Amino acid sequence: MSDQQEPQSSLSPYRILDLTEAGCMITGKMLGDLGADVIKIEPPEGSHSRIAPFYKDIPDPEKSLFWFAYNTNKRGITLDLQTVNGQDILKRLVKTADVVIESFEPGYMEQIGLGYSSLRKIKPDLIMTSITPFGQSGPKAHYRQSELTMWASGGYLYLSGAPEYAPVWISFPQACLFGGVEATTGTMTALWHRQNTGIGQHVDVSIQECIIIFTWQTIPMWDLNNVDYPRLRTPGMMVPTTGVVGARGIYRCVDGHVVIMIQGGDEPFPSSMKSLVKLMDKDGMADDWLKQIDWRRDYDALKLNQDLVNRVEGAIKNFLATKTKKYLYNEANKSGILLAPIATIKDIWENPQLEARNFWVPVAHPELDDTLTYCGPFIKLSESPVEYRRRAPLIGEHNTEIYGKDLGLTKEELVCLKQDKVI
Amino acid sequence: MEKAFEGIKVVEFTWIVLGPSMSRYLTDHGATVVKVESHNRYDPSRGQTPFAQGKSGMNRSMHYGKYNADKYSVSLDMKHPNGLKLIWKLIAWADILTESFTPGTMTKFGLDYESVQKVNPDIIYLSTCLQGQTGPYAQYRGFGPQVISLAGFGEITGWPGQMPLLPFGPYSDFLCPNVNATAIIAALDYRRRTGKGQHIDQSQFETSLHYISPLILDYIVNGRLASRNGNRLPYAAPHGVYPCKGDDRWIAIGVFTDTEWESFCKSIGEPEWRKKPGFSTLPGRKENEDELDRLVAEWTINFTAEEIESNLQAAGVPVNVVEKISDLFQDPQLKHRNYFTYLNHPEMGNCAYEPQARWILSETPREVSMPSPCLGEHNEYVFKELLGLTDDEIAEHIIDGSITTEVKE
Repeated sequence: MSDQQEPQSSLSPYRILDLTEAGCMITGKMLGDLGADVIKIEPPEGSHSRIAPFYKDIPDPEKSLFWFAYNTNKRGITLDLQTVNGQDILKRLVKTADVVIESFEPGYMEQIGLGYSSLRKIKPDLIMTSITPFGQSGPKAHYRQSELTMWASGGYLYLSGAPEYAPVWISFPQACLFGGVEATTGTMTALWHRQNTGIGQHVDVSIQECIIIFTWQTIPMWDLNNVDYPRLRTPGMMVPTTGVVGARGIYRCVDGHVVIMIQGGDEPFPSSMKSLVKLMDKDGMADDWLKQIDWRRDYDALKLNQDLVNRVEGAIKNFLATKTKKYLYNEANKSGILLAPIATIKDIWENPQLEARNFWVPVAHPELDDTLTYCGPFIKLSESPVEYRRRAPLIGEHNTEIYGKDLGLTKEELVCLKQDKVI
Repeated sequence: MEKAFEGIKVVEFTWIVLGPSMSRYLTDHGATVVKVESHNRYDPSRGQTPFAQGKSGMNRSMHYGKYNADKYSVSLDMKHPNGLKLIWKLIAWADILTESFTPGTMTKFGLDYESVQKVNPDIIYLSTCLQGQTGPYAQYRGFGPQVISLAGFGEITGWPGQMPLLPFGPYSDFLCPNVNATAIIAALDYRRRTGKGQHIDQSQFETSLHYISPLILDYIVNGRLASRNGNRLPYAAPHGVYPCKGDDRWIAIGVFTDTEWESFCKSIGEPEWRKKPGFSTLPGRKENEDELDRLVAEWTINFTAEEIESNLQAAGVPVNVVEKISDLFQDPQLKHRNYFTYLNHPEMGNCAYEPQARWILSETPREVSMPSPCLGEHNEYVFKELLGLTDDEIAEHIIDGSITTEVKE
């Protein structure tokens, strides 16, 4: 039981040993944000996830903004798991912990004597969460993968972009992040199960399966209708049974781009279209034929014809080109038009809703003599709110605290371990 | 062995993708979830493709089906006082209430957290919506594409110098269910220790921003505006998606280290061009990346994606076929993980369902056991078996229309 937590957090009784890298580090962050005692374990020279972007573009492992973002609410120790000494120390730590999370290649932990079967001998009710591209076992478990190739393996890369270009991903890697968040849910499930049964489990996360989530209803489209969904421009849809392709949905405006859902049928689409046409009419940009469309009946997906789609799209495109993102977004909010700006990071920073919700949280970085502004709680809980108790740890920042206090190592022992590069 | 959420009871007022997905993390591990709809206001995804045999019908959509397996469906008129009575019984029965309405909607029915807490003091009440329960944009109406765009994903997807291309589908919808399930389980644990329930307020917009938070820090600290860069990464080359033999077939390749570069060149037969001075280091490959990508594509186009994947995997180079949906049904790895579960649905027939959990537990692996419900399919089971109403009481509700049985034109 750790004395690091205030009594009112959700996960205060739990200690998590965090061996993850890259985006998978978000697992420990979320558990820490929910109040758990998370100990981030890095190699003695520092994690290779201390990457760009850097604070003031200074390429220093203690100035990695990526590291800062995904390691809030964690304490940090160093440990070389390749050494027998290091493996021994980890086992001693495991005795004090509830969960171990890791993202090594399948088999690596077993190879160094720290696999689930070994660790559960030390702590039978341990929960071990492993995050890998394809899972712990199976014909592809040992495939070499990277963010882009995992994105490809789940069927989602193929669907994204436009038909006339190659499939294209999101320019900031997402796969390990999503695997990490998924691992949080798995870990919590195993923890809850253990509360009722006393039994620990191995949580085996597959990032490929995570990516498949994004494919929406295209999987049943193949299963039911034999449609192998093609790559189209989003938010445009294709109706599989008629082949009609909906309006593109992304259009230029005065100072950037907006996205708009041009659809009919059931609510809220008819109301949205009516409000939009009304707005266009204010500027005299809505001809009679447009005003007369019954969006519920004439624009229903199964009854749609391509000619109507093209005419509607043309009229709307011309109108949007004359307005700014702020104007359109404000009008959309006022009258329920299904439109949003395609926000830049600057737009996000200036977003009025985030400001009103007190979303931005200052976090002190005394080592930089600065305070940085972070994205706030990923969720709001009324009784046990998410709080940022500490910034991401420096390399080995809590070695003395954790090795000294929890494992009872003396200062001399710590010095030896440091000299031997075990910590 | 007992499943994690056996005995956990959820009453659900959610629609379409995000809302219904949350509780499926719980049903994969044994929870009991009752979904409230009515014949005049049912989940709009019942009207969305794909339909079994291409024939539409409120019980024939696998868009609905996919997100609602393992749930019990009741059909109640929330506007009827006797319909509300049954909802209150469900609320008293439940451990968890989830809702994904526009903020204020539940309040209109008298089903806001404060009111619900009076009847069920330690209930865990989760509200999810686009931008949060409070603030000037709380009533903002929209779907996935809007949230993705607001949350910055649109701006960073596509090709440099071209208009943004959004990622396919309601991308940010999918970023939220696991987060919400995590919060619900954390709240369950908090309640176990303190006896207190709570209100969970999730903004899809806020949650999604954590997927680009380093970019936001980069802007705040360094003034840098992230933008789209095709399939490239600053610290790898070649890195991208290259065309292969066949109809719209592609291969994803990522070469990060010098070792991988050597293996890559060896696997592709040590072409003359690999010796160009500009290609021997990563910075050099980045500087000449357009030419490099062109040369790689000239090689890949001669082979099938499967051949290249096999070849480069054997050499230890990160590579994967850009899988189409049909490929996933043949994927031996997914078979190994028992990913698809075929269940027989009363109207749709045999359908491939998927688990919600993307992880397998060693003692209590995930399980999908019931197909998605027809509308109101479980009125009798829920009200009689779970809530203890008599046959006569249920009949009265049907007669007065508080339990709905058909669509009113």
